[in-house]
Amino acid sequence: MDPEQINEFVVGYLKKKGFSSAAKDLEDFHHHNNGSSLSSIDYHNDPELTKLIRSFSQQEDDPTRYRECYSKLRSWAYNSLDLYKHELLRVMYPVFIHCYMDLVGKGHTQEARGFFNSFRKDHEMVHLRDLQKLEGVLAPSHLEEMEFARSLRKSKVNIKICQYSYDLLLQYLHRTESTLMLGIINEHINFQVYSGQPTSSSDDIEAVTIVGSFQDTANHINQKEIQWGLLEDSLEDRLEKTGGLLSDSEKGQGESKDGDADDSKKRPTDIGKQGSSIKKLKKDKAGNATAKVARLETSTVPPTPRVKPELALPVMSTDVEQTILEDLRNRVQLSSVAMPSVSFYTFVNTHNGLNCASISHDGSLVAGGFSDSSIKVWDMAKIGQTGSGALQGENDTNDPTIGPNGRRNYTLLLGHSGPVYSATFSPPGDFVLSSSADTTIRLWSTQLNANLVCYKGHNYPVWDVQFSPFGHYFASCSHDRTARIWSMDRIQPLRIMAGHLSDVDCVQWHPNCNYIATGSSDKTVRLWDVQTGECVRIFIGHRSMVLSLAMSPDGRYMASGDEDGTIMMWDLSTARCITPLMGHNSCVWSLAYSGEGSLLASGSADCTVKLWDVTSSTKSTKAEEKNVNSNRLRSLRTFPTKSTPVHALRFSRRNLLFAAGAISKPAS
Amino acid sequence: MSIVPKETVEVIAQSIGITNLLPEAALMLAPDVEYRVREIMQEAIKCMRHSKRTTLTASDVDGALNLRNVEPIYGFASGAPFRFRKAIGHRDLFYTDDREVDFKEVIEAPLPKAPLDTEIVCHWLAIEGVQPAIPENAPLEVIRAPAENKPHEQKDGPLIDIRLPVKHVLSRELQLYFQKIAELAMSKSNSALFKEALVSLASDSGLHPLVPYFTNFIADEVSRGLNDFQLLFNLMHTVRSLLQNPHIHIEPYLHQLMPSVVTCLVSRKLGNRFADNHWELRDFTANLVAMICKRYGTVYITLQSRLTKTLINALLDPKKALTQHYGAIQGLAALGHNVVRLLIVPNLEPYLRLLEPELDDEKQKNQTKSYEAWRVYGALLRATGLCIHDRLKIFPPLPSPSPSFLHKGKGKIINTEPQKRKLSVDSSENRSPQKRLTTKDGPDGVQSQDHTGAALMEVDNPVENDKQPQNSAQPSSSEQTSDANESESRNGMVKESGRGRAITMKAILDQIWKDDLDSGRLLVKLHELYGDKILPFIPSTEMSVFL
Repeated sequence: MDPEQINEFVVGYLKKKGFSSAAKDLEDFHHHNNGSSLSSIDYHNDPELTKLIRSFSQQEDDPTRYRECYSKLRSWAYNSLDLYKHELLRVMYPVFIHCYMDLVGKGHTQEARGFFNSFRKDHEMVHLRDLQKLEGVLAPSHLEEMEFARSLRKSKVNIKICQYSYDLLLQYLHRTESTLMLGIINEHINFQVYSGQPTSSSDDIEAVTIVGSFQDTANHINQKEIQWGLLEDSLEDRLEKTGGLLSDSEKGQGESKDGDADDSKKRPTDIGKQGSSIKKLKKDKAGNATAKVARLETSTVPPTPRVKPELALPVMSTDVEQTILEDLRNRVQLSSVAMPSVSFYTFVNTHNGLNCASISHDGSLVAGGFSDSSIKVWDMAKIGQTGSGALQGENDTNDPTIGPNGRRNYTLLLGHSGPVYSATFSPPGDFVLSSSADTTIRLWSTQLNANLVCYKGHNYPVWDVQFSPFGHYFASCSHDRTARIWSMDRIQPLRIMAGHLSDVDCVQWHPNCNYIATGSSDKTVRLWDVQTGECVRIFIGHRSMVLSLAMSPDGRYMASGDEDGTIMMWDLSTARCITPLMGHNSCVWSLAYSGEGSLLASGSADCTVKLWDVTSSTKSTKAEEKNVNSNRLRSLRTFPTKSTPVHALRFSRRNLLFAAGAISKPAS
Repeated sequence: MSIVPKETVEVIAQSIGITNLLPEAALMLAPDVEYRVREIMQEAIKCMRHSKRTTLTASDVDGALNLRNVEPIYGFASGAPFRFRKAIGHRDLFYTDDREVDFKEVIEAPLPKAPLDTEIVCHWLAIEGVQPAIPENAPLEVIRAPAENKPHEQKDGPLIDIRLPVKHVLSRELQLYFQKIAELAMSKSNSALFKEALVSLASDSGLHPLVPYFTNFIADEVSRGLNDFQLLFNLMHTVRSLLQNPHIHIEPYLHQLMPSVVTCLVSRKLGNRFADNHWELRDFTANLVAMICKRYGTVYITLQSRLTKTLINALLDPKKALTQHYGAIQGLAALGHNVVRLLIVPNLEPYLRLLEPELDDEKQKNQTKSYEAWRVYGALLRATGLCIHDRLKIFPPLPSPSPSFLHKGKGKIINTEPQKRKLSVDSSENRSPQKRLTTKDGPDGVQSQDHTGAALMEVDNPVENDKQPQNSAQPSSSEQTSDANESESRNGMVKESGRGRAITMKAILDQIWKDDLDSGRLLVKLHELYGDKILPFIPSTEMSVFL
């Protein structure tokens, strides 16, 4: 290295740092002492030093350096060994977004945009939503303002990487002197290095979701114990016992096998505890079912674990109880070979105004929530009675809103002052709850056709409301990022569940009423304990906003559907995704488990109802079957509708599937 | 740097009254504008999702603005999409096309119909896992074998994709439907019920599983019932309905269906009774064939060529019966004028020579044979006539106001004329077919007596015939003018208009002869062969030029 070069470096460095006069002096000095040695340090023979000087002389915050370094790293990663490639590529995304945010933060908007556009293609497939959000960030102030960006900046990303890949990466970074990349990686990525072979690329769902700081907390939370068993003394429970007498026992036995096989070790102790608690319970709920409890004591250990309710549950009238029992007794057994019948309710002439649809548990009532703040409830049983002739006559009259006998054939419920986003029937079908953009939830009586209560509490539009499986309690969720638990007799919420990082879009009760699940725009699903209001599970894996949830009737599994059409099935106790179900290509609006939990139905904006075989998938995760075809959750059937997006699904207690949707004119 | 250019910011600033906005300020604002817009859109998309829609509307944006405590933008209903117009002279400047509405018009306009109220319609999407084929459901996909991978049992052998025959279960309803239709078709009656059935066949969805059964049924019955005229007619109607049904994909079955259809066109004998109007059946089938070719010709490239080959073979085989010839001619004619020009016209002269003895009353004593011959002659005449009519029509400089339809009408008369003759068989005695063919002299009996135009023609015939040789030999302009005048006198309708135009026609004439010698020659040739009878097919103005 000749001295002139060194001089150049020094001058360049000084200039860059703003010491222009010093640089000038130095130059002058050089002119005077042409060629003479300046310093006693022997930097001629010290390569490390020259490198250091060279790196200093390059402009440190030169925006083009980001691009150079990143593209170098990228091409290196893409050319790496196939075995380690996917692990190394996983590093690229956090580096990419942090490079971009660094550029924005330093005010190089132009370069940031250029950088973003040239490399966004690499990450679009997996991270499209995040990229869309980040794309708009163009000023340092936006970084501060936007929560997503802020959480990214503050937190470190956890990346699991095998020892060898990690070494490769570090070697590369040191060898090429890319201090910039090294800095970003050190600052924002937390490597969890493990020894052994790299994992296969398919099971890294967690790795692709950047969840900010709560990855650790999520892991921590998911350690908590949950009791997903069914309620003791539930109707199903009773049926199983009486069912043995009614020679309907194969179902009960099948279920018991299923339950026992997968019981974790802690269960027997729980059951033991329950056994001892039964007597206490007897006192608590003396009015409800003394006879039943007595029978329970005599019977053997219940097949699926039973838990006691943490809420005081409403007492069911005997009439209702009898009808439900009757329904359960007459339930059609569904399986992959015995498919359900699907009855489809098509809304016509909605003028694009139907926001939500809901079907009562017996399928006789259908409610629609409209964007003009109205709720309309149809009694399908009555429509069936009057027959199609009456409907025909109605169309012929001049005023189509009023039928021949002077009234509409639906009940119009007016009261909200904003689009109605959700409606739900109480289990016996005597109440309707609706939530609206006007931040309120309203309770309506289907017998009086009138508004009974208005629940105020949310500060922003209430996206979803759901009655608990036993009525009386209900859960709501809102744009204000909270989910709330209410009871019908109080106008204040009983619990507020806060923790989601974005809108809470959907809510669903666990069959034993002790938990609720919420799906959010932050792409996670959380499970909350109703009694304590604590988050007990975080399910990470969706790649876009979660739109629908369903709980399996045995309380063990949960299904969630998202905006992209992916459905994920989760094991509640382990918080693991059993298998993602691909098949829909648009938003999954609705999910429903069949009565005995063997089938999952999904309704989507792509105008199809799909049936999935649940049993095959759960088995395959347990004992990894050799048959390659069936180890994924199988799509059994696809029922295309006639350009009708499917808004709501409901399995009746007798396992008839009801679906509802508004017909949309095909795009011309 | 931002997708919002600073010019946009400046324009908006101007439009709300800020005139002294510094360019730097605009430049600073632009990224922020983009960020805010994205923010609003993100919220709007949430609103859209919760309204269970996949298209963003103005109301979603209003909802998003509400969420941010911003006053919504009024006046944008979620009706039709906005039309953006490009500002002339600017590259990237657009504005919404906001039409001015006259209040008076709005007030005076009748009230629009009240929109229909929301209803719920209930149907079975599936019954025990099977989708019933009812109009409420989406049409079934074309039935195909499920693409199930065979278990790898025979790994040692070469990879052969074995597809087991697929068993389709036909629902009870469909079976009944098929039986009923088959019964109706076999009942040989032309009842109203059968007509209803045909309509149902042509419009109902969900019939696709029955198509193989129908094709089989039709093929069987056609081969068995060639003597039963009404049955054949019913079957052809059924075919037509099946073809018309938009929900049926009939392509895979065409190869089975075509032989039956062609049989009904060119079979020697259709029906066993004299009264059976098999001509009508042949005409109907000819149209059917043309319809098939038009619709599936693009999919089955060989379809038309194979069909024309069959037909022309039938036509050119002198051993074939005249009825077969007739069917072939009708079939070819229905396929279009080009087919006629390319296939019939070149063979016209030898064929007519062949037909000549049959047409001659003296030589052909058999009444039926003679009648058939006249039928064939009429079909040929019509086919070639329409062909030449089509050819002549394409001349651009000749405005032909009304005559074309008049002549078409005449063409029909000629076409139906043999039928009339059938009714009064003895009237054919005073005709001399030979004369007509060679166009010698004397009043021609072709035209029916009740037609005034035809009567006029009779009067003019001798004159025309005189000119004819000259005309074809050497068309000089002076002669043509006179010819034109004469021909106009033939035709009362054209008289006034044609005469005035005759002079100008002269000028155009040369060009036409130059332009399309081919058509001219064709016309001349046809005239030689047919004589006057071709004339009604020629649009009057053109005729005035050509003669």
